[in-house]
Amino acid sequence: MSSGPIVQIGGVAARWLSRVGALARFGFGGARAALVLPRAGRAVVFRVTLNQIRFTAVNAIGLIVLLSGILSFLVISQAVRELGQIGATGLIGTLMVVAIVRELGPLITALAIVGRSGTAIAAELATNKVMGEVRALEGMGIDPRQYLVLPRFIGAVMSVFALLVVFDIVAISAGFAAASFNGMTGTRYTQIVLQSLSPGDVWLTVAKALAFGCIVGILPSYFGISVRRAATEVPIAVSRATVASIVGVFICSALFVAIS
Amino acid sequence: MTVPLAFENIPLSAREREPFTLSVASHQTVAVLGDEDSGVDRLGGYAMGLERPRAGTVRTFDTDVEALPERERLAFRRRVGYLPAGDGLLQNLSLRDNVALPLRFGSDATPYDIDGRVNVILVAVRLGAAADRRPARANEEECRRAALARAIAFDPLLLVLEQPFDGITARASAELLEIARGGETAEGARRSILITGQEIPTVVQRRCDRVYRLTRAGTLELETA
Repeated sequence: MSSGPIVQIGGVAARWLSRVGALARFGFGGARAALVLPRAGRAVVFRVTLNQIRFTAVNAIGLIVLLSGILSFLVISQAVRELGQIGATGLIGTLMVVAIVRELGPLITALAIVGRSGTAIAAELATNKVMGEVRALEGMGIDPRQYLVLPRFIGAVMSVFALLVVFDIVAISAGFAAASFNGMTGTRYTQIVLQSLSPGDVWLTVAKALAFGCIVGILPSYFGISVRRAATEVPIAVSRATVASIVGVFICSALFVAIS
Repeated sequence: MTVPLAFENIPLSAREREPFTLSVASHQTVAVLGDEDSGVDRLGGYAMGLERPRAGTVRTFDTDVEALPERERLAFRRRVGYLPAGDGLLQNLSLRDNVALPLRFGSDATPYDIDGRVNVILVAVRLGAAADRRPARANEEECRRAALARAIAFDPLLLVLEQPFDGITARASAELLEIARGGETAEGARRSILITGQEIPTVVQRRCDRVYRLTRAGTLELETA
């Protein structure tokens, strides 16, 4: 009896490790599959990737502009008022760069894409599996990771990166508007933001975009394609994919803070 | 001479007493029919190496497909045409693109050559103007024709057809079987074919070399020879 909790914890850990291992195999297998694409197959993957980018990035620009604009406007408005009272408006640049560009920007962008496209990817691939399309692909000698996963993965990585650039541009512009609205000159705002922004921040943001893109691209695909044959498994797969992606994004964000 | 497809001592369902043994020789068309719970629907998956039976052996062109490494297994499957139950057409592609897909991913042919090959196959299966529709906008018969066209895209010598005639007329079924056979040689049909399903039209049964039925007791009975 005394070993009960230990056995349970061990069981949970073993299942978790097994899932991580399966995920790693899935990812590496997909990467290897990408290397052996014939020319005509590459053209198909390219076309599907473009479709994925259109859905994940282009169609989500409005949402990202809205989220970024409102967040930045609220934060900078409050900061100008509060920090202005103690004469510390110079910290607004740090606030904009550290809080919004470096931390919240990648996080909110990734979460928005998880909610909007990660769920769609998981649902689509799960439906492909339930409808027998994945089995048919395998039966034709096509690696489903080449046709179904690879374009979604590339599309997600590129989309997260592109939307993060949009997020940062809109955030800095909305901050500019908020600062002007609250009595700060545009020149001063630009000066303190540029002073706070270092090349390291830019590279960190790029690294985060790539890492979050990988999470958003691979986890929903993995959970979507892991369903078996029942249609009732589709919503479960979508739910698991969403939760795993959100947790993955937060853990990855924490790791970036720890190592930077 | 290599037997295109051989099942030996395969347990098909839990209640089965006798293990399943069957071979499909070159130029033969063999149908195995049975109830939904007879396990007949698993034969196609076993033949293609998509599933491994609990016991026994399955050899396709003298190869245990399921035991091959992943890349070789995928490459091997291109030697066998497969029409899965429910046709398995990709819903986001036109019927034409569905037919082209295995050629695009499984050959080094140029897009131009692939388009030419696809056009020839589409004419052969008489898909006509429906080729540019997506499966959801095509009728059942058009989908079956497209699924068969996809299965013969690599011009395989063995075809595995799961419930290929469900939901279509006897006349269309007979026509599809003729296309599947790929013409006649002195020894019989050009292709070897395994058909699985619950029922097939009488006109198709007459064109088969052998038709077996899995009974409720799990035994295999020869219906025609």
